[in-house]
Amino acid sequence: MTAVLIFLSAAIVNNFVLAYFLGICPFLGVSKRVETSINMGLATTFVMTLTAVITWLINHFILIKFNLPFLQYVTFIIAIASLVQLVEMFIRKSSPSLYRSLGIFLPLITTNCAILGLALFMSLREYSFIETLAFGVGGGVGFTMAMVIMGGIREELEFADVPKALRGAPITLLVAGMLALAFMGFAGMLSV
Amino acid sequence: MAGKSLGAEFVKGLWAENPVLRLLLGMCPALAVSNSAINGLAMGLATLFVLVASNTMVSLIRRIVPSQVRIPTYIMIIAAFVTLADLCLKARLPEISKALGPYVPLIVCNCLILGRSEFFASKHPIIPSIIDGLGMGIGFTGVLVVLGMVREVFGSGAIFGFVFMGEDVFTPWVVMILPAGAFLTLGMLMGIINYIGNLRKEGP
Amino acid sequence: MKNANSAKMLLVLTGFAIVVGAILALAYQGFYPRIEANRIAEERRAIFSVLEKAKDYKTIEYTRDGGEVVKIFEGMDAGGNTVGYAFLTSGPGFSATIKIMVGINLDRRKLTGMKVVEHLETPGLGTKIEGDKFTVQFKGLAFEPKIEYLKGKKPEKSNQIQTITGATISSVAIVKAMNRRMKIVLEILEGGGS
Repeated sequence: MTAVLIFLSAAIVNNFVLAYFLGICPFLGVSKRVETSINMGLATTFVMTLTAVITWLINHFILIKFNLPFLQYVTFIIAIASLVQLVEMFIRKSSPSLYRSLGIFLPLITTNCAILGLALFMSLREYSFIETLAFGVGGGVGFTMAMVIMGGIREELEFADVPKALRGAPITLLVAGMLALAFMGFAGMLSV
Repeated sequence: MAGKSLGAEFVKGLWAENPVLRLLLGMCPALAVSNSAINGLAMGLATLFVLVASNTMVSLIRRIVPSQVRIPTYIMIIAAFVTLADLCLKARLPEISKALGPYVPLIVCNCLILGRSEFFASKHPIIPSIIDGLGMGIGFTGVLVVLGMVREVFGSGAIFGFVFMGEDVFTPWVVMILPAGAFLTLGMLMGIINYIGNLRKEGP
Repeated sequence: MKNANSAKMLLVLTGFAIVVGAILALAYQGFYPRIEANRIAEERRAIFSVLEKAKDYKTIEYTRDGGEVVKIFEGMDAGGNTVGYAFLTSGPGFSATIKIMVGINLDRRKLTGMKVVEHLETPGLGTKIEGDKFTVQFKGLAFEPKIEYLKGKKPEKSNQIQTITGATISSVAIVKAMNRRMKIVLEILEGGGS
């Protein structure tokens, strides 16, 4: 039951991008079109889920057991970086067409703070294994959703008459602000 | 050495290549912890420290690290300095450390730092790398403080925690301190800067 | 050539990992006493702020079924008489966990105070949970049958508080965290003897 709540909370109410400002770089950088948004979102969700599982295992069976909290950041980020690399190699071998469509976005996932944020939040909130899994998937789904909505709006924006000074990054930020306002409507519906 | 003088390396981070406003790097912390001026300042300084330290290290070791493993090595170095900064804050400034919460470790993922290591420090000697880190870090801190000040003034009628407009004279714009306000403020700030830039280009 | 190269990669990575690990371990050793001291000092301050009459305190550790350890602080006056108990509790707030210290007077069935120890609430809104206007409501509040909260209305009963406008989630989080822990603490203090 709590796992379901955590999933919904991470996906909607406490959306990583719009409420915690995690993963802003890809959110602003790679959201020009709906299609790339979907691909990036899915790849990130995949890595997030794996990261949640692996960092939970590392945290529980190595860091907590041997009392090494100061190695947390280093081990987490290395785990994420290697995971991204593995995923990249795996996709390149198994599905070259998918690899081409994701292409340059894959390595970028390492510096997506949403992923490290996920790992840190789960250790901070002392989630159980199942809860961590729900948190990872939920966070990924929420990220994908924000990306896709943003991609859709930006496709439409191309036809809009935006004041010259606001073109590019500024208008994207303003749109993100409106989105964050809209998502605030969910605030307080769940508290996990 | 050919290229820009040290002074130019320093100044470019402040304005022309300002990490947040121009390069769009390090957006996450810029938005997340700029809800008050003091938080923005603390976060900016912590980032400045990590940036200068990792730029120095990366520049020092740039010849021994094989290029295939340079990214993991850089990340490791950055994460180590972030841990140091975090421990140091916890020990010496517990109040600030609590206010910044989980955003201190997220400096690891600040693309600004990895970006500077990769594009600058790995190709330049130590001194320019330090200067580059200082310039970028100060530029970053500046934006965070300005953002924090704007949001604090409108959002709670205060500046650096000092309330100068009580709730009886000024109704705070709650939205400014909420996440949405961060996006809106930064968007408007960039718009204004572009506007001024355009005016200058077009001449009086 | 290729082998030599991967050997070098491995060597460099391992070397850096060891150096980084060693430096961090040393730094942690160096900073730990200070960090721990900060934590204890803060705990002390919080205890004395919720148990105003206390001059000293001792920590009672109680292991419940299932291995969970519950820490309760017993506040004492200069003569060593118990003046009240304090305990830490936490719950999910608006942006992250809110941690609070609660003081109770067992004989009078009332709270003696509440102090927010840790939070990451929105500045200007959620941060009001630290303000006197909110915290003073908990002084002398009856904790039985349980603490209740009202939105936008003045409290009518002795076990009610008013939530902060614009920070309902944060206010409710505190009340919920209190009620949850209170049950366990009362069980320990009154159920199992000393």
